[in-house]
Amino acid sequence: MNQLLCRNIHKKFGRRRILEAVDISLTAGECLLLCGRNGAGKSTLLRILAGMERPDQADVTVDGTVRRWRQAKKRLLAECIYLHQQPYLFEGSVRYNLNYPLSGTRAARQSRIREGLEWSGLADLSEQPVHQLSGGERQRVALVRAWLRGPRVMLLDEPTANMDTTCRQRTVELLQALKGQGMALLVATHDPQAFSGVSERTLELHDGRLRESGLAPTELPDKVTPIGHRVRGTA
Amino acid sequence: MGSISDSTLQALALLFGGDPNLWEIIGISFRVSLTAIALATPVAIGIAFLLAYGRFPGRRLLITMFNTLLSFPAVVVGLTLYILLSRQGPLGEWQLLFTQPAMIIGQIALALPILVAMGHSSLQATDRRAWETARTLGAGRLRSMLTLMREARFGLLAALLAGFGRIIAEVGASMMLGGNILHYTRNIPTAIALETSKGEFAQGIALGLVLLAMAFLLNGLLQLVQGKGRPVA
Repeated sequence: MNQLLCRNIHKKFGRRRILEAVDISLTAGECLLLCGRNGAGKSTLLRILAGMERPDQADVTVDGTVRRWRQAKKRLLAECIYLHQQPYLFEGSVRYNLNYPLSGTRAARQSRIREGLEWSGLADLSEQPVHQLSGGERQRVALVRAWLRGPRVMLLDEPTANMDTTCRQRTVELLQALKGQGMALLVATHDPQAFSGVSERTLELHDGRLRESGLAPTELPDKVTPIGHRVRGTA
Repeated sequence: MGSISDSTLQALALLFGGDPNLWEIIGISFRVSLTAIALATPVAIGIAFLLAYGRFPGRRLLITMFNTLLSFPAVVVGLTLYILLSRQGPLGEWQLLFTQPAMIIGQIALALPILVAMGHSSLQATDRRAWETARTLGAGRLRSMLTLMREARFGLLAALLAGFGRIIAEVGASMMLGGNILHYTRNIPTAIALETSKGEFAQGIALGLVLLAMAFLLNGLLQLVQGKGRPVA
């Protein structure tokens, strides 16, 4: 998948409007930041893009083909991965968690796990039970586990929340590496500065609408930009 | 006092002397109850999973129903199934009354509410992120369900032990549906009831000791299992 385009995303929870006519596009090898106050709908948008939350309405285009939600959901689940703000690690060791998304022979899986452990600098922790890990280590294990699955799009919900500077720096480096491998990244964050070296653009969710950060809604472009991100002005 | 201690000594002699009748009754008891729990468990876990993670009309009513069935007396379950399985009943053609399969059906009916209610509680207590994480990591619905069961395994095992504990010791349904036939449907609780009514305490005490030992073992296992359960953030 080289480009994922979701247009006209609407989502309500009860009477509360969360997303309204949101358009977003993700292209391989780009990293977008998603900002907005608490409850603005950042996580909801990420979950919709990951195929985990059904929108009230959305037109999903994958590689130029428009798909109905049922078909799109399968494709999104297959191509995108969502990382919770506080990642969930299955009970067991780090190795067990890293093995989870892998298939193939035992030798092939072991080799991939080794690769992941070395890539993330977690080699010393492979047999560690996950309940003994620190918050930053858990986040990195979740990131490596996600990487091992080999998604095209990674949707990260506050990946550096509650991390110290070193951990945050290490996570940003890992994201930089993922981007370098051609993965599309969408990062929901309250701290865009932390990702300034990785991301090209910052989007902001406000009153259910998505806008370019720092621009008034009326100034938003109404066409797909060269990097493939489209933002539509308020109606 | 003397007769109690005499009976207890006789009971121990029966138990450790390898009395064939006694061990046959124990064997029937375990065969019937283990079969019942083995058949009830997959169905119960499926229902528990649906109640914990499904969203459909009548879900709350079903939860209430299974919780209510928890306190349903075994003898009433036995009576209901007796009516259904008796010759004049709608399932009379199956000719199951006073057979081991009838006892198994009765025990399934008794175990199911416990397994569903406790299984539902333990699955519902599992972090919802576990399901989402499994799905986003590429697991299909079945694998995600198995993953969730693994995460909730201590609670599910506790449900299993509690369910087995209930059916191995129940007398009402087994008596009504099995008929307490020697060498065929006489199990531990029905044998205790019979021997006691005849004033033969030795075999009753011996079988009671087996139940007591098993209850102790099950509770020990439960403690061990619950002690191992560790919440994962």
